Amino acid sequence: MALNEKSKTNSETLIPSSTNTITRARPSATDEFGRSTAKIAVAQLCEATGFHAVKDSALESFSDIVIRYLIDFSKTAKFYSNLAGRSQCTVFDLLRAWEDLQAPLGFSNGMKEIMNYAESMPETPFAQPIPNFPVIRERKIIPSFIQMGETPPGKHIPAWLPALPDPHTYIHTPVWDERVSDPREDKVEQARQRRKAERSLLNLQKRLLLCNGNRNRNESTETTTTGSDPDEDVAPAVLPVKLPIVDGDRVSVLEAFAPAIEKLGGGGVLCDDDDEIDGEKTVIPAATARPTVHFKFKSGKKFIGESLDDRNKKRDALHTIFLVGREDERDDKKRRAEYILRQSMENRQELTLL
Amino acid sequence: MNQNQPQSSSSEGRADDDSALSDFLASLVDYTPTIPDELVEHYLAKSGFQCPDVRLTRLVAVATQKFVAEVAGDALQHCKARQATVPKDKRDRQQKDRRLVLTMEDLSKALREYGVNIRHQEYFADSPSTGMDPATRDE
Repeated sequence: MALNEKSKTNSETLIPSSTNTITRARPSATDEFGRSTAKIAVAQLCEATGFHAVKDSALESFSDIVIRYLIDFSKTAKFYSNLAGRSQCTVFDLLRAWEDLQAPLGFSNGMKEIMNYAESMPETPFAQPIPNFPVIRERKIIPSFIQMGETPPGKHIPAWLPALPDPHTYIHTPVWDERVSDPREDKVEQARQRRKAERSLLNLQKRLLLCNGNRNRNESTETTTTGSDPDEDVAPAVLPVKLPIVDGDRVSVLEAFAPAIEKLGGGGVLCDDDDEIDGEKTVIPAATARPTVHFKFKSGKKFIGESLDDRNKKRDALHTIFLVGREDERDDKKRRAEYILRQSMENRQELTLL
Repeated sequence: MNQNQPQSSSSEGRADDDSALSDFLASLVDYTPTIPDELVEHYLAKSGFQCPDVRLTRLVAVATQKFVAEVAGDALQHCKARQATVPKDKRDRQQKDRRLVLTMEDLSKALREYGVNIRHQEYFADSPSTGMDPATRDE
Protein backbone atom coordinates (compact mmCIF):
# COMPACT_ATOMS: atom_id res chain seq x y z
CA MET A 1 0.00 0.00 0.00
CA ALA A 2 2.86 2.34 0.66
CA LEU A 3 4.16 1.56 -2.80
CA ASN A 4 0.97 2.66 -4.47
CA GLU A 5 1.12 5.85 -2.51
CA LYS A 6 4.60 6.46 -3.73
CA SER A 7 3.72 6.00 -7.34
CA LYS A 8 0.87 8.44 -6.90
CA THR A 9 3.03 11.00 -5.23
CA ASN A 10 5.35 11.13 -8.18
CA SER A 11 2.74 12.99 -10.14
CA GLU A 12 2.63 15.63 -7.48
CA THR A 13 6.26 16.47 -7.83
CA LEU A 14 8.05 17.69 -10.86
CA ILE A 15 9.82 14.39 -11.17
CA PRO A 16 8.53 12.74 -14.32
CA SER A 17 6.53 9.76 -13.19
CA SER A 18 8.38 6.79 -14.48
CA THR A 19 6.70 3.46 -14.84
CA ASN A 20 8.53 1.84 -12.04
CA THR A 21 5.51 -0.29 -11.25
CA ILE A 22 7.05 -3.00 -13.39
CA THR A 23 9.84 -3.48 -10.93
CA ARG A 24 7.36 -3.23 -8.12
CA ALA A 25 5.14 -5.97 -9.49
CA ARG A 26 7.88 -8.52 -8.93
CA PRO A 27 9.64 -7.35 -5.80
CA SER A 28 11.34 -10.66 -5.24
CA ALA A 29 13.05 -10.76 -8.62
CA THR A 30 16.79 -9.96 -8.72
CA ASP A 31 18.18 -6.82 -7.08
CA GLU A 32 18.37 -8.39 -3.63
CA PHE A 33 21.99 -7.50 -3.33
CA GLY A 34 21.44 -3.88 -4.26
CA ARG A 35 18.62 -3.55 -1.78
CA SER A 36 20.58 -5.06 1.08
CA THR A 37 23.54 -2.81 0.34
CA ALA A 38 21.30 0.23 0.29
CA LYS A 39 19.80 -0.81 3.61
CA ILE A 40 23.22 -0.97 5.17
CA ALA A 41 24.20 2.42 3.78
CA VAL A 42 20.98 4.05 4.95
CA ALA A 43 21.32 2.55 8.41
CA GLN A 44 24.84 3.89 8.62
CA LEU A 45 23.65 7.35 7.65
CA CYS A 46 20.83 7.24 10.19
CA GLU A 47 23.30 6.32 12.86
CA ALA A 48 25.51 9.23 11.79
CA THR A 49 22.50 11.53 12.08
CA GLY A 50 21.93 10.56 15.67
CA PHE A 51 19.50 7.65 15.80
CA HIS A 52 20.25 4.81 18.16
CA ALA A 53 18.10 2.29 16.40
CA VAL A 54 15.99 1.93 13.33
CA LYS A 55 12.82 -0.02 12.94
CA ASP A 56 12.92 -2.72 10.30
CA SER A 57 9.89 -1.57 8.35
CA ALA A 58 11.09 2.01 8.46
CA LEU A 59 14.54 0.99 7.23
CA GLU A 60 13.12 -0.97 4.33
CA SER A 61 10.86 1.82 3.23
CA PHE A 62 13.62 4.35 3.59
CA SER A 63 16.11 2.33 1.55
CA ASP A 64 13.44 1.78 -1.07
CA ILE A 65 12.91 5.52 -1.34
CA VAL A 66 16.64 6.15 -1.53
CA ILE A 67 16.97 3.73 -4.43
CA ARG A 68 14.09 5.43 -6.17
CA TYR A 69 15.77 8.77 -5.61
CA LEU A 70 18.98 7.53 -7.16
CA ILE A 71 17.19 6.15 -10.17
CA ASP A 72 15.16 9.30 -10.63
CA PHE A 73 18.21 11.48 -10.34
CA SER A 74 20.10 9.52 -12.97
CA LYS A 75 17.10 9.29 -15.28
CA THR A 76 16.61 13.00 -15.19
CA ALA A 77 20.29 13.60 -15.89
CA LYS A 78 20.16 11.19 -18.80
CA PHE A 79 17.08 12.94 -20.08
CA TYR A 80 18.89 16.25 -20.12
CA SER A 81 21.92 14.82 -21.85
CA ASN A 82 19.73 13.24 -24.50
CA LEU A 83 17.95 16.52 -24.89
CA ALA A 84 21.26 18.12 -25.72
CA GLY A 85 21.91 15.42 -28.28
CA ARG A 86 24.49 13.53 -26.28
CA SER A 87 24.54 9.99 -25.03
CA GLN A 88 27.11 10.53 -22.31
CA CYS A 89 26.25 12.68 -19.33
CA THR A 90 28.26 15.62 -18.10
CA VAL A 91 28.34 17.52 -14.87
CA PHE A 92 25.98 20.09 -16.25
CA ASP A 93 23.36 17.45 -16.89
CA LEU A 94 23.70 16.47 -13.29
CA LEU A 95 23.38 20.05 -12.25
CA ARG A 96 20.14 20.48 -14.12
CA ALA A 97 18.80 17.22 -12.76
CA TRP A 98 19.68 18.37 -9.28
CA GLU A 99 17.78 21.60 -9.73
CA ASP A 100 14.89 19.57 -11.00
CA LEU A 101 14.83 17.47 -7.89
CA GLN A 102 15.24 20.33 -5.55
CA ALA A 103 12.55 22.49 -7.14
CA PRO A 104 9.72 21.39 -4.85
CA LEU A 105 11.85 22.29 -1.87
CA GLY A 106 12.27 25.88 -2.89
CA PHE A 107 14.87 27.83 -4.68
CA SER A 108 18.00 25.87 -5.15
CA ASN A 109 21.42 27.32 -4.80
CA GLY A 110 22.82 24.99 -7.34
CA MET A 111 25.44 22.60 -6.34
CA LYS A 112 26.54 24.79 -3.49
CA GLU A 113 24.25 22.96 -1.19
CA ILE A 114 25.93 19.73 -1.98
CA MET A 115 29.32 21.27 -1.57
CA ASN A 116 28.40 22.72 1.77
CA TYR A 117 27.07 19.43 2.88
CA ALA A 118 30.12 17.54 1.75
CA GLU A 119 32.39 19.84 3.60
CA SER A 120 30.35 19.79 6.75
CA MET A 121 29.82 16.08 7.03
CA PRO A 122 32.67 13.99 8.36
CA GLU A 123 33.65 11.29 6.04
CA THR A 124 32.10 7.98 6.97
CA PRO A 125 32.95 5.34 4.42
CA PHE A 126 30.80 2.33 3.79
CA ALA A 127 30.98 -0.40 6.39
CA GLN A 128 32.16 -3.30 4.19
CA PRO A 129 33.89 -3.52 0.85
CA ILE A 130 31.46 -4.79 -1.73
CA PRO A 131 32.37 -6.41 -5.02
CA ASN A 132 31.64 -5.02 -8.40
CA PHE A 133 28.11 -6.01 -9.20
CA PRO A 134 26.11 -7.24 -10.97
CA VAL A 135 28.41 -10.14 -11.64
CA ILE A 136 28.40 -11.10 -15.29
CA ARG A 137 28.27 -14.82 -15.78
CA GLU A 138 30.29 -16.18 -18.66
CA ARG A 139 27.82 -17.58 -21.09
CA LYS A 140 28.65 -20.36 -23.44
CA ILE A 141 28.40 -19.01 -26.93
CA ILE A 142 26.77 -21.36 -29.38
CA PRO A 143 29.02 -21.68 -32.42
CA SER A 144 27.63 -20.44 -35.67
CA PHE A 145 26.95 -22.52 -38.75
CA ILE A 146 30.24 -21.48 -40.28
CA GLN A 147 32.14 -22.42 -37.16
CA MET A 148 30.48 -25.80 -37.01
CA GLY A 149 31.18 -26.45 -40.65
CA GLU A 150 27.55 -27.07 -41.41
CA THR A 151 25.28 -25.59 -44.00
CA PRO A 152 22.08 -24.18 -42.63
CA PRO A 153 19.03 -26.22 -43.60
CA GLY A 154 17.24 -23.64 -45.63
CA LYS A 155 18.15 -20.72 -47.80
CA HIS A 156 16.48 -18.26 -45.51
CA ILE A 157 18.94 -18.93 -42.68
CA PRO A 158 22.24 -17.02 -42.91
CA ALA A 159 25.37 -18.93 -42.09
CA TRP A 160 26.61 -16.62 -39.38
CA LEU A 161 23.72 -17.45 -37.06
CA PRO A 162 24.21 -19.93 -34.21
CA ALA A 163 23.97 -23.51 -35.35
CA LEU A 164 20.84 -25.56 -34.83
CA PRO A 165 21.07 -28.28 -32.18
CA ASP A 166 21.86 -31.82 -33.18
CA PRO A 167 18.82 -33.95 -34.02
CA HIS A 168 19.59 -36.46 -31.32
CA THR A 169 18.89 -33.82 -28.71
CA TYR A 170 15.28 -33.41 -29.65
CA ILE A 171 14.37 -36.57 -31.59
CA HIS A 172 14.11 -39.79 -29.72
CA THR A 173 16.33 -42.31 -31.49
CA PRO A 174 15.95 -45.83 -30.12
CA VAL A 175 19.10 -47.55 -29.01
CA TRP A 176 19.58 -51.06 -30.34
CA ASP A 177 21.54 -53.76 -28.63
CA GLU A 178 24.13 -54.77 -31.18
CA ARG A 179 24.89 -58.16 -29.71
CA VAL A 180 22.66 -60.85 -31.17
CA SER A 181 21.68 -63.37 -28.56
CA ASP A 182 20.89 -66.80 -29.90
CA PRO A 183 19.18 -68.93 -27.29
CA ARG A 184 20.30 -72.09 -28.99
CA GLU A 185 23.89 -70.98 -28.95
CA ASP A 186 23.57 -70.09 -25.31
CA LYS A 187 22.30 -73.55 -24.46
CA VAL A 188 25.04 -75.22 -26.43
CA GLU A 189 27.62 -73.12 -24.66
CA GLN A 190 26.12 -73.94 -21.30
CA ALA A 191 26.11 -77.65 -22.01
CA ARG A 192 29.72 -77.45 -23.12
CA GLN A 193 30.79 -75.79 -19.95
CA ARG A 194 28.97 -78.37 -17.87
CA ARG A 195 30.65 -81.16 -19.74
CA LYS A 196 33.97 -79.53 -19.15
CA ALA A 197 33.36 -79.40 -15.43
CA GLU A 198 32.29 -83.00 -15.33
CA ARG A 199 35.29 -84.07 -17.27
CA SER A 200 37.72 -82.34 -15.02
CA LEU A 201 36.14 -83.93 -11.97
CA LEU A 202 36.31 -87.35 -13.50
CA ASN A 203 39.90 -86.82 -14.51
CA LEU A 204 40.79 -86.06 -10.97
CA GLN A 205 39.14 -89.21 -9.80
CA LYS A 206 40.93 -91.16 -12.44
CA ARG A 207 44.28 -89.80 -11.46
CA LEU A 208 43.75 -90.54 -7.85
CA LEU A 209 42.77 -94.07 -8.65
CA LEU A 210 45.65 -94.51 -11.00
CA CYS A 211 48.21 -93.28 -8.60
CA ASN A 212 46.81 -95.42 -5.93
CA GLY A 213 46.78 -98.42 -8.18
CA ASN A 214 50.35 -97.88 -9.29
CA ARG A 215 51.63 -97.48 -5.81
CA ASN A 216 49.89 -100.58 -4.68
CA ARG A 217 51.49 -102.62 -7.37
CA ASN A 218 55.21 -102.62 -6.98
CA GLU A 219 55.61 -104.92 -9.96
CA SER A 220 56.16 -103.48 -13.29
CA THR A 221 53.22 -102.77 -15.38
CA GLU A 222 52.96 -102.07 -18.95
CA THR A 223 52.06 -98.51 -18.40
CA THR A 224 53.95 -95.90 -16.57
CA THR A 225 52.84 -94.29 -13.43
CA THR A 226 51.19 -91.06 -13.62
CA GLY A 227 51.70 -89.60 -10.26
CA SER A 228 55.48 -89.41 -10.22
CA ASP A 229 55.79 -86.45 -12.42
CA PRO A 230 53.13 -83.90 -11.78
CA ASP A 231 54.32 -81.68 -14.55
CA GLU A 232 53.47 -84.08 -17.29
CA ASP A 233 50.50 -82.79 -19.09
CA VAL A 234 49.28 -86.03 -20.43
CA ALA A 235 49.88 -89.41 -19.00
CA PRO A 236 48.37 -92.72 -19.89
CA ALA A 237 45.73 -93.75 -17.49
CA VAL A 238 45.97 -97.00 -15.67
CA LEU A 239 42.76 -98.09 -14.25
CA PRO A 240 41.51 -101.26 -12.85
CA VAL A 241 38.33 -101.64 -14.66
CA LYS A 242 36.72 -104.33 -12.66
CA LEU A 243 36.93 -104.50 -8.96
CA PRO A 244 35.12 -106.81 -6.65
CA ILE A 245 33.05 -105.23 -4.00
CA VAL A 246 34.58 -106.24 -0.74
CA ASP A 247 32.10 -104.84 1.64
CA GLY A 248 28.51 -104.72 1.03
CA ASP A 249 27.96 -101.29 2.41
CA ARG A 250 30.81 -99.68 0.64
CA VAL A 251 30.68 -99.11 -2.99
CA SER A 252 33.92 -98.35 -4.59
CA VAL A 253 34.09 -95.08 -6.26
CA LEU A 254 35.70 -96.69 -9.21
CA GLU A 255 32.66 -98.79 -9.82
CA ALA A 256 30.49 -95.77 -9.63
CA PHE A 257 32.69 -93.78 -11.93
CA ALA A 258 33.70 -96.61 -14.19
CA PRO A 259 31.03 -96.17 -16.80
CA ALA A 260 31.67 -92.46 -16.94
CA ILE A 261 35.38 -92.97 -17.18
CA GLU A 262 34.94 -95.53 -19.89
CA LYS A 263 32.76 -93.17 -21.80
CA LEU A 264 35.38 -90.54 -21.60
CA GLY A 265 37.60 -92.93 -23.47
CA GLY A 266 40.44 -92.15 -21.18
CA GLY A 267 41.62 -89.28 -23.22
CA GLY A 268 44.51 -88.61 -20.93
CA VAL A 269 44.27 -87.85 -17.30
CA LEU A 270 44.40 -84.22 -18.04
CA CYS A 271 42.80 -82.81 -21.11
CA ASP A 272 43.85 -79.29 -21.60
CA ASP A 273 41.93 -79.05 -24.78
CA ASP A 274 38.46 -80.17 -24.09
CA ASP A 275 37.58 -80.33 -27.69
CA GLU A 276 40.30 -82.79 -28.55
CA ILE A 277 39.10 -85.57 -26.43
CA ASP A 278 39.21 -88.03 -29.22
CA GLY A 279 42.93 -87.55 -29.65
CA GLU A 280 44.40 -90.22 -27.53
CA LYS A 281 43.45 -93.56 -26.37
CA THR A 282 44.76 -94.85 -23.18
CA VAL A 283 45.42 -98.37 -22.22
CA ILE A 284 43.39 -99.65 -19.42
CA PRO A 285 44.74 -102.94 -18.36
CA ALA A 286 42.56 -105.43 -16.68
CA ALA A 287 42.68 -105.58 -13.00
CA THR A 288 44.60 -108.50 -11.76
CA ALA A 289 45.09 -108.78 -8.15
CA ARG A 290 44.72 -105.53 -6.52
CA PRO A 291 43.40 -104.65 -3.21
CA THR A 292 40.17 -102.82 -3.16
CA VAL A 293 40.51 -99.17 -2.79
CA HIS A 294 37.98 -97.73 -0.52
CA PHE A 295 37.39 -94.10 -0.75
CA LYS A 296 35.99 -92.15 2.06
CA PHE A 297 34.76 -88.68 1.43
CA LYS A 298 35.31 -86.49 4.37
CA SER A 299 35.46 -82.81 5.13
CA GLY A 300 38.58 -80.96 4.37
CA LYS A 301 39.30 -79.92 7.89
CA LYS A 302 39.81 -83.38 9.10
CA PHE A 303 42.00 -84.15 6.21
CA ILE A 304 44.25 -81.28 7.06
CA GLY A 305 44.68 -82.56 10.53
CA GLU A 306 45.52 -86.01 9.42
CA SER A 307 47.89 -84.89 6.78
CA LEU A 308 49.88 -82.93 9.31
CA ASP A 309 50.14 -85.97 11.50
CA ASP A 310 51.33 -88.01 8.63
CA ARG A 311 53.89 -85.43 7.77
CA ASN A 312 55.26 -85.42 11.21
CA LYS A 313 55.61 -89.16 11.20
CA LYS A 314 57.38 -89.44 7.90
CA ARG A 315 60.09 -87.03 7.08
CA ASP A 316 59.61 -86.70 3.40
CA ALA A 317 60.45 -83.66 1.45
CA LEU A 318 56.95 -82.66 0.76
CA HIS A 319 56.23 -79.16 -0.23
CA THR A 320 53.34 -77.62 1.51
CA ILE A 321 50.05 -78.06 -0.15
CA PHE A 322 47.34 -75.60 0.48
CA LEU A 323 43.97 -77.15 0.33
CA VAL A 324 41.71 -74.76 -1.31
CA GLY A 325 38.77 -76.99 -1.96
CA ARG A 326 38.32 -75.82 -5.48
CA GLU A 327 39.09 -77.79 -8.58
CA ASP A 328 39.77 -75.01 -10.91
CA GLU A 329 43.58 -74.84 -10.91
CA ARG A 330 45.09 -77.82 -12.65
CA ASP A 331 48.54 -77.52 -11.12
CA ASP A 332 47.16 -77.32 -7.64
CA LYS A 333 45.01 -80.32 -8.39
CA LYS A 334 48.01 -82.28 -9.57
CA ARG A 335 50.04 -81.48 -6.53
CA ARG A 336 47.16 -82.20 -4.28
CA ALA A 337 46.45 -85.51 -5.94
CA GLU A 338 50.10 -86.40 -5.67
CA TYR A 339 50.16 -85.57 -2.01
CA ILE A 340 46.99 -87.42 -1.25
CA LEU A 341 48.17 -90.51 -3.03
CA ARG A 342 51.50 -90.50 -1.30
CA GLN A 343 49.77 -90.29 2.02
CA SER A 344 47.43 -93.04 1.07
CA MET A 345 50.33 -95.24 0.07
CA GLU A 346 52.02 -94.80 3.35
CA ASN A 347 48.88 -95.07 5.27
CA ARG A 348 47.13 -98.00 3.81
CA GLN A 349 44.81 -98.47 6.67
CA GLU A 350 42.70 -95.51 6.04
CA LEU A 351 42.36 -93.56 2.92
CA THR A 352 40.66 -90.23 3.01
CA LEU A 353 39.94 -88.14 0.12
CA LEU A 354 38.70 -84.65 -0.27
CA MET B 1 25.23 49.16 -18.89
CA ASN B 2 22.52 48.45 -16.48
CA GLN B 3 21.59 45.46 -18.48
CA ASN B 4 25.13 44.41 -18.83
CA GLN B 5 25.89 44.59 -15.20
CA PRO B 6 23.55 41.98 -13.97
CA GLN B 7 24.68 39.86 -16.84
CA SER B 8 28.30 40.37 -16.03
CA SER B 9 27.63 39.84 -12.42
CA SER B 10 25.72 36.72 -13.21
CA SER B 11 28.45 35.61 -15.57
CA GLU B 12 30.98 36.32 -12.90
CA GLY B 13 28.86 34.43 -10.49
CA ARG B 14 28.70 31.64 -12.94
CA ALA B 15 32.43 31.68 -13.34
CA ASP B 16 32.76 31.47 -9.63
CA ASP B 17 30.32 28.68 -9.60
CA ASP B 18 32.24 26.88 -12.24
CA SER B 19 35.52 27.24 -10.47
CA ALA B 20 33.93 26.18 -7.23
CA LEU B 21 32.41 23.23 -8.95
CA SER B 22 35.66 22.18 -10.52
CA ASP B 23 37.36 22.50 -7.18
CA PHE B 24 34.67 20.46 -5.59
CA LEU B 25 34.96 17.82 -8.22
CA ALA B 26 38.68 17.66 -7.64
CA SER B 27 38.11 17.21 -3.96
CA LEU B 28 35.64 14.44 -4.61
CA VAL B 29 38.38 12.10 -5.68
CA ASP B 30 39.59 11.84 -2.13
CA TYR B 31 36.23 11.89 -0.49
CA THR B 32 34.53 8.54 -0.04
CA PRO B 33 30.80 8.84 0.36
CA THR B 34 28.92 6.47 2.61
CA ILE B 35 26.91 5.12 -0.29
CA PRO B 36 29.39 2.85 -2.07
CA ASP B 37 30.42 3.53 -5.62
CA GLU B 38 29.40 0.12 -6.87
CA LEU B 39 25.86 0.54 -5.68
CA VAL B 40 25.53 3.95 -7.28
CA GLU B 41 27.03 2.73 -10.53
CA HIS B 42 24.63 -0.19 -10.59
CA TYR B 43 21.58 2.00 -10.36
CA LEU B 44 23.00 4.59 -12.72
CA ALA B 45 23.58 1.91 -15.30
CA LYS B 46 20.10 0.60 -14.71
CA SER B 47 18.54 3.91 -15.64
CA GLY B 48 20.83 4.61 -18.59
CA PHE B 49 23.23 7.10 -17.08
CA GLN B 50 26.43 6.63 -18.97
CA CYS B 51 29.53 8.17 -17.55
CA PRO B 52 32.97 6.74 -17.10
CA ASP B 53 34.02 9.54 -14.76
CA VAL B 54 34.19 8.43 -11.16
CA ARG B 55 33.79 11.97 -9.91
CA LEU B 56 30.29 12.21 -11.32
CA THR B 57 29.25 8.99 -9.63
CA ARG B 58 30.66 10.33 -6.41
CA LEU B 59 28.72 13.51 -6.96
CA VAL B 60 25.51 11.55 -7.32
CA ALA B 61 26.39 9.58 -4.22
CA VAL B 62 26.97 12.74 -2.22
CA ALA B 63 23.70 14.23 -3.44
CA THR B 64 21.82 11.12 -2.38
CA GLN B 65 23.62 11.12 0.92
CA LYS B 66 22.51 14.68 1.49
CA PHE B 67 18.95 13.68 0.80
CA VAL B 68 19.10 10.83 3.28
CA ALA B 69 20.72 12.99 5.90
CA GLU B 70 18.05 15.62 5.54
CA VAL B 71 15.21 13.17 5.84
CA ALA B 72 16.83 11.45 8.79
CA GLY B 73 17.41 14.76 10.47
CA ASP B 74 13.78 15.73 10.06
CA ALA B 75 12.67 12.39 11.43
CA LEU B 76 14.97 12.87 14.38
CA GLN B 77 13.38 16.21 15.07
CA HIS B 78 9.95 14.66 15.02
CA CYS B 79 11.07 11.86 17.30
CA LYS B 80 12.53 14.25 19.81
CA ALA B 81 9.49 16.47 19.64
CA ARG B 82 7.20 13.57 20.42
CA GLN B 83 9.28 12.56 23.37
CA ALA B 84 9.20 16.09 24.72
CA THR B 85 5.42 16.30 24.63
CA VAL B 86 4.74 12.99 26.29
CA PRO B 87 4.04 13.67 29.96
CA LYS B 88 5.99 11.11 31.88
CA ASP B 89 8.09 10.79 34.97
CA LYS B 90 11.53 12.20 34.93
CA ARG B 91 13.04 8.77 35.33
CA ASP B 92 11.16 7.28 32.38
CA ARG B 93 12.02 10.14 30.10
CA GLN B 94 15.70 9.80 30.85
CA GLN B 95 15.47 6.22 29.81
CA LYS B 96 13.50 6.99 26.68
CA ASP B 97 15.76 9.77 25.62
CA ARG B 98 18.52 7.26 25.29
CA ARG B 99 16.58 5.24 22.74
CA LEU B 100 16.01 7.23 19.59
CA VAL B 101 14.38 4.83 17.21
CA LEU B 102 13.41 5.66 13.67
CA THR B 103 9.82 4.58 13.24
CA MET B 104 7.48 4.63 10.30
CA GLU B 105 5.52 7.40 11.90
CA ASP B 106 8.44 9.79 12.07
CA LEU B 107 9.61 8.77 8.64
CA SER B 108 6.24 9.43 7.06
CA LYS B 109 6.08 12.84 8.68
CA ALA B 110 9.54 13.71 7.44
CA LEU B 111 9.00 12.46 3.94
CA ARG B 112 5.77 14.34 3.48
CA GLU B 113 7.71 17.51 2.91
CA TYR B 114 9.59 15.85 0.10
CA GLY B 115 6.42 14.81 -1.65
CA VAL B 116 6.46 11.18 -0.61
CA ASN B 117 3.28 10.17 1.19
CA ILE B 118 3.67 7.02 3.15
CA ARG B 119 0.79 5.67 5.12
CA HIS B 120 1.75 2.92 7.46
CA GLN B 121 -0.73 0.39 8.64
CA GLU B 122 -1.12 0.73 12.37
CA TYR B 123 -2.63 -2.64 12.90
CA PHE B 124 -4.02 -5.47 10.87
CA ALA B 125 -7.60 -6.57 11.44
CA ASP B 126 -9.25 -9.84 10.60
CA SER B 127 -12.27 -8.34 8.90
CA PRO B 128 -13.60 -4.91 8.05
CA SER B 129 -16.02 -4.97 10.96
CA THR B 130 -13.45 -5.75 13.64
CA GLY B 131 -13.40 -3.24 16.42
CA MET B 132 -16.66 -1.63 15.51
CA ASP B 133 -19.56 -1.19 17.91
CA PRO B 134 -21.85 -4.16 18.06
CA ALA B 135 -24.76 -1.87 17.33
CA THR B 136 -23.37 -0.67 14.03
CA ARG B 137 -22.06 -4.06 13.03
CA ASP B 138 -25.44 -5.36 12.16
CA GLU B 139 -25.93 -2.79 9.43
